[in-house]
Formats: sequence, structure tokens, C-alpha cells
Amino acid sequence: MPAGLSAGARATLRITVTDADTAVAAGSGDVPVLATPRLLALAEAACVAAIAPRMTPELTSVGTVVRLEHRQASPVGAELDIEAELTEISGSRLVFMFIARPADDSDRVIGAGTLERVVVDRERFLSRSDSRG
Amino acid sequence: MTEVRAEMVANVWKVVASAGDTVEDGDTLVILESMKMEIPVLAEAAGTVSTLAVSEGDVVQEGDLIAVIE
Repeated sequence: MPAGLSAGARATLRITVTDADTAVAAGSGDVPVLATPRLLALAEAACVAAIAPRMTPELTSVGTVVRLEHRQASPVGAELDIEAELTEISGSRLVFMFIARPADDSDRVIGAGTLERVVVDRERFLSRSDSRG
Repeated sequence: MTEVRAEMVANVWKVVASAGDTVEDGDTLVILESMKMEIPVLAEAAGTVSTLAVSEGDVVQEGDLIAVIE
């Protein structure tokens, strides 16, 4: 576990929804609004950003568990803030909460949930994956 | 005699010890993989491995026998 990594680490990503972010583009639906898998990817990216300052080059983290609510649709052009916070460390397991809100309306919740990642040695992890073909 | 059992559902990633090996308390017997993590299974006593009940690639359930140390 990287030294100095502790609960409370957080990061916020600000994005503008583009055509590339829609359910149509993701293949997850047929309406041109923010895709749920895209919201998940943004939430994961916010988690990674939250711990990035404390990670060493040999270590990385990989996603393991997801609970995600996607409560409101976001059209192309919407600006969103996706905030992630590390809430729990248990061995190499990291638990995060995330919340996505419109950049101009922080009272409204677009999506929220909890994500888990585990810290692994980058090379060992890749060699394990490769050996599986 | 000490039975070493799986504490979770996992894949057997590496079998490190063999039947007949002499092991110390804390030696790694096998390495499991669960939730993308490597989880070493350690000898809980010194002795001789009389049974090694798993092979690489096996799936173990919680409570399954992994090894017996005499």
C-alpha cells in the first residue's frame, strides 16, 4: 500500500457531455444523452485521480466492485462535476464514493454510488493477466 | 495435523509447495486469486505437507481443503 494514502483523498473531474459520451456512441442505448457506462468510466477516473498523488510507479489500482445510480439524464453540452472520495482502506482494497452533479447546480444529483478498487503491483498483475491468454 | 482451508471463493493461481515438503509456520503453500488480488495461503504450523489438495487453475470454495500439514 502506498505510504500516505488515507481516507479522505478526493478529486473532481469537470467534463462537458459530447456526442462521444452518449448512449448511442457507447452502444448502451439509443438516445443521445450521457451513457451510464460513460458515467461509470468518469467516476472510475475520478477515483484514480483522487489517489494518483500517492501512488508509486510500480503500483496501480484496478476496479472490482461497482454500485451506481444514474438518476437524471444529461444532454450533449451539459457540464458536469464528478467528485470521488476515498472512504475506506482495508488491506489493498479501496472503497470510494462518487457523486456527479451539474457544474452550475450543485444541489442536483445526476449520479452517485460506491466503487471499489484494489491496489496491485502493475507488472505482476499484467503478467497474471497475460498468462490467461 | 493442521488442515489449511480456503477462506473465500478463489482461483488457484500458483501452487508453491508440494506434498512431502517440509514447511515452516508462515511459508506460502499456494497463491489464490480473488477479486484481481493475489492472496497467499500460508502454512499455519511447521511440519510436513502430507496432502496438497489443489492444482493450478482449480476454483476453490470457502472452506475447501487446500493442504494438510502433519
